[in-house]
Amino acid sequence: MAVAAAVLVAGLLLALMVGRYPISFAELFSAIAGKLTGHAPAVPSTIDNVVWQVRGPRVASAALVGAALAIAGTAFQGLFRNPLVSPDILGASSGAALGAVLGIYFSLGVFAIQALAFLGGLLAVAAVYAIGGAVRARDPILVLVLTGVVIGALLGAGVGMVKYLADPYGQLPAMTFWLLGSLASIGAADIAPLGIPVALGTLMLLALRWRLNVMSLPDEEAKALGLPTGPLRVAIIAAATLVTSASVATAGVIGWVGLVVPHIARTLVGPDFGRLIPATALLGGGFLLLIDTLARTVSAVEIPLGILTALVGTPFFIWLLASVSKTWS
Amino acid sequence: MLFDRRTLLRGAAAATLSPRLARAAVTDASGRAISIPEEIKHVFAAGPPAAILLYTLAPDLLIGWTRSHDPEECEFLGPGGCDKPEVGRLTGRGNTTNLEVLLKLKPDLILDVGTINDTYVSLATRVQEQTGIPYALLDSRFDAIGPLYRKLGEFTHRQAQADDFARYAESTTATIKGRVDKIPEQSRPRVYYGRGPRGLETGLGGSINVETIEFLGAHNVAAERRGGMATVSVEQVLAWNPDVIITIEPMFAAALKTDPVWASVKAVQNGRVHLSPRLPFGWVDFPPSVNRLIGLWWLAKALYPEQFPEDLRPLTREFYTRFYHKTPTDAQIDSLLTGRA
Amino acid sequence: MILSGHNLTIGYRDRVVGRGLDVALATGDVLALLGPNGGGKTTLLKTLLGLLAPQSGEVRLGDRRLASLTSRQRARLIAYVPQFHVATFAFTVEAVVLMGRTAHGNLFSRPSSADRAVAVCVLERFGIAHLRERPYTMISGGERQLVLLARALAQEPQFVVLDEPTASLDFGNQGKVLREIRALALSGHGVLFTTHDPNHAMRAADRAYLLRDGIRVGEGATGMILTKAQLERLYGTSVETVNDSTGRTAFLPG
Repeated sequence: MAVAAAVLVAGLLLALMVGRYPISFAELFSAIAGKLTGHAPAVPSTIDNVVWQVRGPRVASAALVGAALAIAGTAFQGLFRNPLVSPDILGASSGAALGAVLGIYFSLGVFAIQALAFLGGLLAVAAVYAIGGAVRARDPILVLVLTGVVIGALLGAGVGMVKYLADPYGQLPAMTFWLLGSLASIGAADIAPLGIPVALGTLMLLALRWRLNVMSLPDEEAKALGLPTGPLRVAIIAAATLVTSASVATAGVIGWVGLVVPHIARTLVGPDFGRLIPATALLGGGFLLLIDTLARTVSAVEIPLGILTALVGTPFFIWLLASVSKTWS
Repeated sequence: MLFDRRTLLRGAAAATLSPRLARAAVTDASGRAISIPEEIKHVFAAGPPAAILLYTLAPDLLIGWTRSHDPEECEFLGPGGCDKPEVGRLTGRGNTTNLEVLLKLKPDLILDVGTINDTYVSLATRVQEQTGIPYALLDSRFDAIGPLYRKLGEFTHRQAQADDFARYAESTTATIKGRVDKIPEQSRPRVYYGRGPRGLETGLGGSINVETIEFLGAHNVAAERRGGMATVSVEQVLAWNPDVIITIEPMFAAALKTDPVWASVKAVQNGRVHLSPRLPFGWVDFPPSVNRLIGLWWLAKALYPEQFPEDLRPLTREFYTRFYHKTPTDAQIDSLLTGRA
Repeated sequence: MILSGHNLTIGYRDRVVGRGLDVALATGDVLALLGPNGGGKTTLLKTLLGLLAPQSGEVRLGDRRLASLTSRQRARLIAYVPQFHVATFAFTVEAVVLMGRTAHGNLFSRPSSADRAVAVCVLERFGIAHLRERPYTMISGGERQLVLLARALAQEPQFVVLDEPTASLDFGNQGKVLREIRALALSGHGVLFTTHDPNHAMRAADRAYLLRDGIRVGEGATGMILTKAQLERLYGTSVETVNDSTGRTAFLPG
């Protein structure tokens, strides 16, 4: 685990070194040293600006979003007893997407768009939970999943509707770019609205990770082993939704990270959530960091993150399905 | 025998369109030969560029707008600007007009102004076959406004008025281009055109969004790649370090002044951030139609302030009176020119 | 301590499965629950475990109502060994047994060294300590049942409740599990198990409880209550008995 953390830190530094704006290693070093020691950096203010206002926040966000999506995916895979589950299973991404396109449709400011997206994600899951809870059934998990599918589809239709009504010259391209996922516009001011919910949710999931092992058992067994499954389920869903909504609000819809990274982590450290959750967070952060670095350096034009993760994720997933996996029965 | 939509529509078309005694054979800008009635009373504009064009030349012929206008846009439009129905768009991105509604409106001609390529040509042919209404496709390229008006004048039998508009457009572009051509390469600024809420959408080289900017000889920083619209990162714009930034987004223009991320860009430091007026139609980018003509003066002033000392206000007043059929007040013009109106 | 149900009406939201049921189990005793399918055995089991609320009547543990206990308190007193364990993830045997220690830690705690010591201890008791690092999904059915038993014992409960513990086992393992059930009683646990096989009840249980269509049709010491007549009435079918020279009886379906 310590090795993984070290690798991630190295990755962060490497990512800081590359980018469209030419910065040498020496300049980067001076800029960082300047910030740490409090002295004025020995580099022009433009470079300092790029490192601390542009590239730095972006690199940090990539790691945060990657970790958040991966950890949410892992938690949901445990909670729903299914290794093929992604963080969007309860509709958080769809709700956030609807919030965001509505914000763009009403020509609101950027922070309003993000806030709407964040709220949209939370409200969608709350609605799914409320509706699912109202249906009394033997298997609360199955009901949640089905409700999530339905609500997710409904919200997706809403997104389609808003796109249809949008002005094709101005608003529609903005919506399309947002929905494909991008960190192109991240600035220093975005770190707090992203970092705080992600930190909260991650801490909660880290604290609960040993109980997640038991929550992955059938409900009756988990209860018999002494867990208050109802409230715990709410807590885990809330934590995972918090991190997912914050991620989607900041970076748009990025798929596959929450599905594929937990699997890779599982092959490396095994299925015990005690080790899996931290491993997944580190791995997810590194994964998206790599993808975002590609997205912003390969050409002058940004490649949407959602496209890159799908290009990388799909073949990997097919390989995963095809190979005999001993990590799930 | 199956009743398919096509035959049904064609039958309905034949039934609803009263026979015209005389028809003229003309060619549209794509080279298609179409037969249009001698007397044109109603024209359906297939998209916003066509609607604007038609409104300038012959507002009485326009059946309706693709989208209804906001009150602030209505303030600058003369008769026919805001009392016509909303009829949807027939072309380009997102087709919202119902073909049967189109037939009910009984247009004599469908007018479309846009890019001439196979997609739009085939669309034109298909709609014409389905509805029996002649569909004329005209070129929206900025350097072809003169021929555009003359063609439209030919179709609508308003050649004299069309010629007036064409000459106005041609003399304006000739004057401006003449002065620009004398400016040496080094004095031509590097321009970044930003749109979208964060200003990170831009037009690549040759895209219709930056047509007037490139027409004026400025260097589009994003032109290292050719194409349409694309998203870029803040870092990329910082690396390009443009001399001038043009935008139509008030929030982006405001952010440029206050957000420390942008502080190091040359354009921001030299105060060369220009927010384009946008009422009733944008002066630079969308829709890509004759509305950009007045924008050309504004752009020229922004890019080459020394070579273009003209006061924009009388130019604006004249353009709006002639093209939008309403003379704006001084107060309106001032507010319009700030870009925030 | 005594686990008891008083005048229970049991069932689910839309239907009643059993009425007027009184059951009692003391620590050190083994009680077998017998009856045809659909008769309410599993429902009664779950009600006594506290997993299902009785529609009327109450379940008591000692002198406390079971409903007044939290899941955590309950888990330290009663352990559940389900018939199947659907393993979505291939946890190691040790991880599975450690899950039995959940009720002994708080919500956020990691397994302590004390927990691990208990786990090793129960694994050794069942002779499966060598399987510690093996994924649960890669051991035999019999071994899996023992792992579940070990997990239950790791809870350090007073009572162990098993649902059809021998149903999916091969012949050899059935005997093994039955012996372990007796051993549980000897070490002071109260054991309740459901079974389809009266012979298993004979071998492992002290007392039997016969349940048919949600009604108790008999209860008592296994030697007394498990007779041909009772069983024929219980299952509604003929039963053959086989006696050996020492007076032990076995039952065969007729």
